[in-house]
Amino acid sequence: MSNSTLAAHTATFDTGSAASLPSGKAGVWWFLASEIMVFGGLIGTYILFRVAHGGWAEQASHVSWRLGATNTLVLVTSSLTMILALNASRTGRHQRAAHFLLLTVLLGLTFLGIKSIEYTREIREGFVPSSGMFWSFYYIMTGLHGLHITGGIIFNAILYFGATRGTLWSGGHGNRIEFAGLYWHFVDVVWIFLFPLLYLS
Amino acid sequence: MDTAIAHAHQPPASFLRRYVFSIDHKVIAKQYLTLSLAMALIGGFTAYLIRWQLAWPETDIPGWGPIGPDNYDALITMHGTVMIFFVAMPFLLGGFGNFLIPLMIGADDMAFPRLNMTSFWMLFTASSLIVASMFVPGGPAAAGWTSYAPLSDNPIYTGVTWGQNLWILAVALEFASFLMGGINFLVTALNLRAPGMTLWRMPLMVWMELTAAVVFLLSVGPLVAGALMLLMDRTLGTGFFRPDRGGDPLLWEHLFWFFGHPEVYVVALPGFGIMLEVLPVFSRKPVFGYRMMVWSTLAAGLLSFLVWAHHMFVSGMDPRLATPFSVTTILISVPFAVLVFAMIATVWGGSIQFTSAMWFALGGLATFMIGGVTGIFLGSATTDIFLHGTYFVVAHFHYTLFPVTFFGGFAGVYYWYPKMFGRMMNEVLGKIHFLFTFIFFNAIFIPLFITGLRGNPRRLYEMSNYDFLKPMQSLHVIATIATIGLLLGQLPFVANFVLSMFFGKKAQDNPWHANTLEWATSSPPPFGNFAEPPTVYRDPYEYSVPGASQDWIAQTAPEPFITTVAAD
Amino acid sequence: MSSTTEHSDFDYVLIWVWLVALLGAGTLAFLLPIGKGAALAVIFGIAMVKASLVVRDYMHLKSERLLIYVIAALPLILALGLALVLIPDIVYHR
Repeated sequence: MSNSTLAAHTATFDTGSAASLPSGKAGVWWFLASEIMVFGGLIGTYILFRVAHGGWAEQASHVSWRLGATNTLVLVTSSLTMILALNASRTGRHQRAAHFLLLTVLLGLTFLGIKSIEYTREIREGFVPSSGMFWSFYYIMTGLHGLHITGGIIFNAILYFGATRGTLWSGGHGNRIEFAGLYWHFVDVVWIFLFPLLYLS
Repeated sequence: MDTAIAHAHQPPASFLRRYVFSIDHKVIAKQYLTLSLAMALIGGFTAYLIRWQLAWPETDIPGWGPIGPDNYDALITMHGTVMIFFVAMPFLLGGFGNFLIPLMIGADDMAFPRLNMTSFWMLFTASSLIVASMFVPGGPAAAGWTSYAPLSDNPIYTGVTWGQNLWILAVALEFASFLMGGINFLVTALNLRAPGMTLWRMPLMVWMELTAAVVFLLSVGPLVAGALMLLMDRTLGTGFFRPDRGGDPLLWEHLFWFFGHPEVYVVALPGFGIMLEVLPVFSRKPVFGYRMMVWSTLAAGLLSFLVWAHHMFVSGMDPRLATPFSVTTILISVPFAVLVFAMIATVWGGSIQFTSAMWFALGGLATFMIGGVTGIFLGSATTDIFLHGTYFVVAHFHYTLFPVTFFGGFAGVYYWYPKMFGRMMNEVLGKIHFLFTFIFFNAIFIPLFITGLRGNPRRLYEMSNYDFLKPMQSLHVIATIATIGLLLGQLPFVANFVLSMFFGKKAQDNPWHANTLEWATSSPPPFGNFAEPPTVYRDPYEYSVPGASQDWIAQTAPEPFITTVAAD
Repeated sequence: MSSTTEHSDFDYVLIWVWLVALLGAGTLAFLLPIGKGAALAVIFGIAMVKASLVVRDYMHLKSERLLIYVIAALPLILALGLALVLIPDIVYHR
């Protein structure tokens, strides 16, 4: 069953109540709700542990705030390119949408690249997950976040190829950019909190 | 718009696409059902081993061999893990939820059919992982289904290495599977209801499944975080839960039970949902207090997030948490009491038809009540101090989980088997099955209430180290004999299930004369569920309406009511 | 899907400018010698503002219906509740 059939189906089976939420969007928001619980649990635990164990200032001093800030800039910009891709697709500018999707993918890869540089340097200096509680939390939070970034990059790349080949538009799947965007912005918001928590505290 | 639907309604041609990698919710539901029943064999077999060991500790277990302290804990871990995550959830949510939600709301499938298929195969993979974990060096996880740290965290305590890691992966994958499934349920019910199917006309089963989906979705996150932490502790040398590395074992307990408690309601609510569908139909009466039951269900779902530390009263957590959590736990008994009383009121004064499904629904209601009231003693911190970690707890949770999963689940099978498979099950075998199940279930766990009250601790591979337990050994023997009886008593069900598939009487559309939408189509439903999209005109429980010419009125019967001739 | 068609690209770029400016301000607060407590308050306040900009304007939460707010708000409340209950055990009883 293709999405377009389902879209037609939804329109047919309208319950007569106020304009309902398109299924894809509702699904993504429910998914994000569960993700908030995952990251919320991690972040909450981290904050409490850090307060309880004296602040970990020494351990935390070894992360590079410069690289962290740069990565924040990269991710925030990728959110811009993502929303511009969505806006372009909504106004029928398909080429432009594809370009912005590509930019988002590239910025995401840049983020991962900078993260890898950080990890490499930190591991070389002997800071591994078992080096202390701060490092355990640092690696689990940035690691899980990085996995989410990777997933988002893959999905955005798939959309990009669909956009350039035209299958994204002809199959009526343009609204997938919105769903991918919601996910991508969420991952950005998580980083907006991880950055000060890990780098500026 | 008709062409859109007609176009979508060609069943796939190849065997693989039709029965293996199907996106049809009815096929997927049956896959979940089959998987859960297969895993129940493992769950039941572990129960047999555990109980034999407890009754006759010095003997080798027939069909297995000796059990000692080194593998007893692995057995109870596998029993709990398999039964909750790989039997109860697939059975009640994956099986019945998937089959019924689209049908009951008048949709032709779930909102995300391919995601639905993916969810099943994720669970299949998870089940394979948990089975595989039983064969790796070091054996399967042995830290209990609750996997407390540092027992689960530091391999020196159990000697288990790969088994515990696979346990973590299997459970995490199971979580992901039901997360996807839950999202599917919620969006489907939100968006794909047939014209006239308002939220307040949905059958209670749907409300239960939806509440379970939301509760699961919102509770599982912190444990996913915790599971990742545990995996890192075990593989990367971190110390989130290890005091010797600066961590806190209590953190694991909080993260686990924050999910673990809502989880038991995720299992219980759909079980109630099944009972709430069966009871009115075989009483020929509407449910008592439909709206009140919906509000109670939602209240129970909300409260379920506020009670978790009642599992931790004696864990060494801050004692100031004991009172608030006792209060919330006693509070949560209120909505469940409402549901139970409403169920009784539903049946009261009805024209009861004692079908197998009805027996199981009634039996489930009765046994659940025992589980519910014994929970009150455990929910209050003062009494829990004495009862925690004893067989009283074991009996309590079996008197809640077993009724909803098995009495409820079997009621569902006997009730919806005709719809699923187009055949009627044998009622005589069904009643024999009920008799054995009911008698032996009670015979197992009432003795365990007694030993628990007398202080019998849990998770002991045998009782000989404690003099005060020796006089109670006969109770354990009774429980074990009853366990064997219970397991053998499932044979009529297995025979019935299989034989009816081929030799059962062909089922009509609506053999039980029920109102809900799944009965307004053929048995089994066609690809696409309904030949014409149904329109809903009335509530789901209009039975024995005064002045009507028959004692049931389908939800699709238009106003004013004109009797639709029931051919049978 | 009509909630978002009226935004021009420029509006989104403007939000981005704010986000970058806030990023700069937060980093500055970290670097300047303004006392730990004050710095943390400023830094996390800024993080909240940045997050709400992304959520309201990029995820269009401000123009979505109530149900989405509920879906987004519930987990936040629950996660906060969990953290609060953990305080006695994690912070005070290590």
